[in-house]
Amino acid sequence: MATLSLSSRPLTFLRPNRTKPPLHRLLRHKPLASSSASALTPPTPRADPSPTPDPDPTPLFLRSASHPVPAAALASFRRRAAALVPPSAPHLHRHLRWLLVDAAADPSSDPALLRAPLDDLEAMWTRHVRERRPFQYVVGNEHWRDLVVAVREGVLIPRPETEAVVDMIRKVEGFADGWWADLGTGSGAIAVAVARELGHEGRVFAVDVSEVAVEVATLNVQRYGVQGKVEIRHGSWFEPLEDVKGKLMGVISNPPYIPTDDLPGLQPEVGWHEPKLALDGGKEGLEHLLHLCEGLSSVLKPGGFFVFETNGNKQSEFLVDLISTKWNSSFHNVEAVLDFAEIKRFVTGYRR
Amino acid sequence: MGSRLLARSAAARLLSHLRRRTPDPTHRLLPHGASLASLLGPTGDIPAAADSALLRYPARWSSSSTAAFAEVPMTADGLTVESIAGKGWTILPEAESDWRSHAAAVAQSIKLIKKRLKWGWILERTKQLAVVLEKPDLWDDPVFAGRVSREHGELMGKIKSVNQFEQELIEHIDMLRLAREENDNELEMESMRALADMRRSAKEKELNALLSGDNDSCSCFIEVQAGAGGTESMDWAAMVMNMYRSWAQRWGYTITVVEEMPGEVAGIKRATIKVDGEYAFGYAKAEVGVHRLVRISPFDSGKRRHTSFAAVAVIPILGDASSRYQIKDSDLRIERFRSGGPGGQHANTTESAIRIVHIPTGISATCQNERSQHMNKASAMAVLQSRLDQLEIARQAQMNAEHTQSLNEISWGNQIRSYVLHPYRMVKDLRTNYEVSDPDSVLEGDLDDFILNYLSSSLDEAEVSV
Repeated sequence: MATLSLSSRPLTFLRPNRTKPPLHRLLRHKPLASSSASALTPPTPRADPSPTPDPDPTPLFLRSASHPVPAAALASFRRRAAALVPPSAPHLHRHLRWLLVDAAADPSSDPALLRAPLDDLEAMWTRHVRERRPFQYVVGNEHWRDLVVAVREGVLIPRPETEAVVDMIRKVEGFADGWWADLGTGSGAIAVAVARELGHEGRVFAVDVSEVAVEVATLNVQRYGVQGKVEIRHGSWFEPLEDVKGKLMGVISNPPYIPTDDLPGLQPEVGWHEPKLALDGGKEGLEHLLHLCEGLSSVLKPGGFFVFETNGNKQSEFLVDLISTKWNSSFHNVEAVLDFAEIKRFVTGYRR
Repeated sequence: MGSRLLARSAAARLLSHLRRRTPDPTHRLLPHGASLASLLGPTGDIPAAADSALLRYPARWSSSSTAAFAEVPMTADGLTVESIAGKGWTILPEAESDWRSHAAAVAQSIKLIKKRLKWGWILERTKQLAVVLEKPDLWDDPVFAGRVSREHGELMGKIKSVNQFEQELIEHIDMLRLAREENDNELEMESMRALADMRRSAKEKELNALLSGDNDSCSCFIEVQAGAGGTESMDWAAMVMNMYRSWAQRWGYTITVVEEMPGEVAGIKRATIKVDGEYAFGYAKAEVGVHRLVRISPFDSGKRRHTSFAAVAVIPILGDASSRYQIKDSDLRIERFRSGGPGGQHANTTESAIRIVHIPTGISATCQNERSQHMNKASAMAVLQSRLDQLEIARQAQMNAEHTQSLNEISWGNQIRSYVLHPYRMVKDLRTNYEVSDPDSVLEGDLDDFILNYLSSSLDEAEVSV
């Protein structure tokens, strides 16, 4: 149902607000063509931090390819777009290639059928290069594990580190037919990936307090046809799970864990564009993680498993220490697990 | 349907005709019976038992030895496939309705097919295997027994299909003459058409016989690496890669770019593509080696002539899991892109390249084509698996020429083909001396003649060495 209403929007509204970015903004960010265009340089403070809302909430790659554009016009767009990017930024050239893959039904046909008018595409590209709007929000998806997860402003873009969570819980005894909770599901990436591996009895309860997240997760669940396995619940952490207390095989969460003080220093793609709600972990970044640890024992069934993503070594070590001393009677085998960059990224353990 | 019925009745008539004419039918009826099924085409699924009952020689048919196939099929007046091939009958275009021409063409093809299959060796090998299969203690070692019986089965299959084909030819000739004798126009036309059909399918079989190697039917990876010489060489490597992409496209193969290291100015330093489809490896393996280009370099402001090199390696993607190299997880080191920062929610990156190193052998594979690390890892694993499989093939079959070299093994001296764009225009294969004067069409993927020439010449060599 949500899919229907989402996809019908571009047709009904015809995007009356379609405007090119204000000129002053283009001018202000022009110097980015120098060395500061790297995605990894520290951000320059921005006068206007609120991102322009995308007028069309349907992810670009899912819109209908109904805008014929002559091949020559597309080629000249490609040249103009490439000219905006310094050769020192290979990732942007990669993005341009992917943008065309996602935006056109068949980029080599003439005319090519685009999923947005060429002007819109041009504006999107400019915003990506100049305003550092994440590429994933531009095309509306992130390739994560073997999924193409739909995303848009308001939900966290799934991170490659988090891919490992699915492999961890898949190894838990009784995985396939267990009930699982994904707390703060966001785009629903974890919930969908887990659901696809579950057996007949297995279920995932995907919880999020954000309405945008609930919408996007619903879309992703439907796109992968796992409605029968994933139940999306609107609410904060354990609140919507009263009825399954003590019945869960496991709890998975990638909660906001960045210390509030670190937020201003984030990479622009993240700090300027991704939802604070999904990033801000309060003082020390532990606010939500601690809340999750406290509620854990009442929702997990005996033998149940949990995995949380954390900010790294310091948080993970702290949590392992805390759980195995303060709640020693409730949990065992609590440990910090490394991510692919050898950072202690996850805390896992079992309910006694 | 009509023609099938006709063929059936014609066969029956032929059979009775032969019975009537031949005083002692034993030596010929048997093979005729064998081909009856094939002659009847799709409807001819008469069980072997029914066949043998009809012919009243069941004992001969249950024998698994090659004895049953040793009989040389012969027409009523003593023509054999070999004698037809030796008669030097003129081979006219297919459109000409001349049975001698058709028969000669088919007989020639059969001769070639036999040569390519190493017929003498096959017969000998089958005999040896049959002896092994008779041993009572064979199944004490089930793995060995399985291998022997599989090989025996495969060889018998080949022998049988060739013999059936020969048989069919003889049948059609007999039938045609019979039709003429009895002034049966309809039957004559039917037989002539059947002969022409055989001629076409013989051509196909000839081609297939070229690809009788163990892994020929597999999909493959094609890797191209630029030689020394900077941009000019890298541009050449990209041209070579494009040549294979268009070649594969012509064949309807599916192409996926697995890895690509672009050159600084133009072209590629190295690239790997995956070519999916039947016999991709069988054909592409003919391209292994160093390809040389001579031209006026567009990257040289002095407009001088340059010679550059690109090395090509082809790796089969084995379908049979049992023959694959077993990779232990603990032997792998997986390297990913790291932003170097705190990672996790802090970072947004679309860099998803993965490199997997197999520590014991030092062999590695990289994939950056997919948009997620997970998928890149899966692709890189597939490449690594194939590279290790290739190593395993090489190890198992050192004396067997089937093994193709990896990029590391290809010495830059091992030139297989020259592409000259200046001062004259020519592409010449240094192994077969086959050449064409239109380099553009070759670079656009028109490689089949080069490949087929090489494949047949390498089989000829194998024949000589046997």
